[in-house]
Amino acid sequence: MRLRTAIGALALVGAGIASYLVVVKLSGASAVCPTGGCATVERSKYAELAGIPVALLGLVAYAAMFVTAMRRDEHAAIAGAAIALAGLLYGGYLLVVQLAVIDAVCAWCVASDVVLALLAALAVARLQRTSPD
Amino acid sequence: MRAVSRKTTYILALSGAAVIAAALIGASVLLAGGSSKSAAAETGTTIQGAAAVNDLLAGIPQEGTMLGRRNAPVTLVEYADLQCPYCAHVAVGEFPGIVRDYVRTGKVRVVFNGLSFVGPDSVTALETALSAGAQKRLWHVVQLLYANQGTENTGWVSEELLRGVGGAVPGLDVASMLTGRSAGSISSARQEAQQSANTAGVTGTPSFAVGRTHGVLTLVSGNDAQTVRSALDAALRG
Repeated sequence: MRLRTAIGALALVGAGIASYLVVVKLSGASAVCPTGGCATVERSKYAELAGIPVALLGLVAYAAMFVTAMRRDEHAAIAGAAIALAGLLYGGYLLVVQLAVIDAVCAWCVASDVVLALLAALAVARLQRTSPD
Repeated sequence: MRAVSRKTTYILALSGAAVIAAALIGASVLLAGGSSKSAAAETGTTIQGAAAVNDLLAGIPQEGTMLGRRNAPVTLVEYADLQCPYCAHVAVGEFPGIVRDYVRTGKVRVVFNGLSFVGPDSVTALETALSAGAQKRLWHVVQLLYANQGTENTGWVSEELLRGVGGAVPGLDVASMLTGRSAGSISSARQEAQQSANTAGVTGTPSFAVGRTHGVLTLVSGNDAQTVRSALDAALRG
C-alpha cells in the first residue's frame, strides 16, 4: 500500500512538471528556467515526436503510472514497471541529447528524469513484492 | 486470476520497457536526428567552414548577441555588417585567435552589435543571426555567414543558404530560426544596435569597442587583430 501511495504521489509530481511543459510548449511561452537552456531544448527538434510534444507523451505516461498505482493487481504492477523503466531509458537518451547534441540542459527535464528514476525504483520494488517466488 | 511467477513478471516488465523505449528512441533518432543531418544536404548548398566554426565555438557560452563568460572582466563589442568584406576577413582570419586566447580562457566576452547599412542582404542576414541568438547560436550563424559571404546585394543571403547554414549548426532548430525573424523583438534589436553604433561614434565596419565589463567602453582606433589585442590586454590590466 505504501509503495503504491508513493508511486501515485510521484506520478502526480511528474504529471505536474509535464503539464507545465505542455502549457509552455503549446502557448509558445518560455519556461522559467534556472539553467537557462529550457527554451533551446524546448525549441529543438527533439522536443517533438512526429509532431507530438514530448512533454505530452510524458504527461500521458505519468497519468498511466498513476492509474497503475491505484490498482492492486499484478498486471498493474507489471505495466507500471514497464512504463517507468521505458520512461527512464527515454529520459536518459534525451539527457544525452541535451548534453551532446543540443548543448543546453532543461532543468525541468532533469527534474522529470529524477522523478522517473525514483518511480522506476519503486515500481520494480512493487513488482518484487507483488509476484510470488 | 492465476498468479504469474516472479520470473515471468520481470520478463514481461523488462520486455515491455524495452519495446516502448526502443520505439520512442528509434522514432526520435529517425525523425529528429535524421533530419538534422540532412538539413544542409537537402538544400544542395555547400557550407564552407562548418567544422572549423563548430570547433571554435564548442562549449563557449552564448546568450543572445554575447559570446563568452557572462562575468568575464573585459567586454569587446564588435560593430559589423554581415555583408562587409573586411568584416568577413577579420571574422574568418583573425577572430578565431581572439576567441581562443581571450574568450575561451574566460578573460573577455564579445558582443555582436550587428549593423545592416550595406543593403537588403544585410538586413536578412542580421535578422537571421539575431533569431538564432534566441537559441544561443548567433555566433555560429554569424561566423558561417562570413565564411560563405557573397557579393554585396546580389541576393546571396538566400533562404537556401540560410537553411544550409542553419543545418550546419548543431542543435539549431532551423525552422524556428527562420520563422523567429518576423518577431517584433528582432526588428527592435536591429534598430537598437544601429542607435548604439551611432552613440558610440562608429563610422565604419568592423569597429571595436573595449572596456571593463559594466564600465565605459572605448572605441579602438583601428580594426586589425594586433590593435584589438593590445586594447584587450590594456583593459585586462585594468
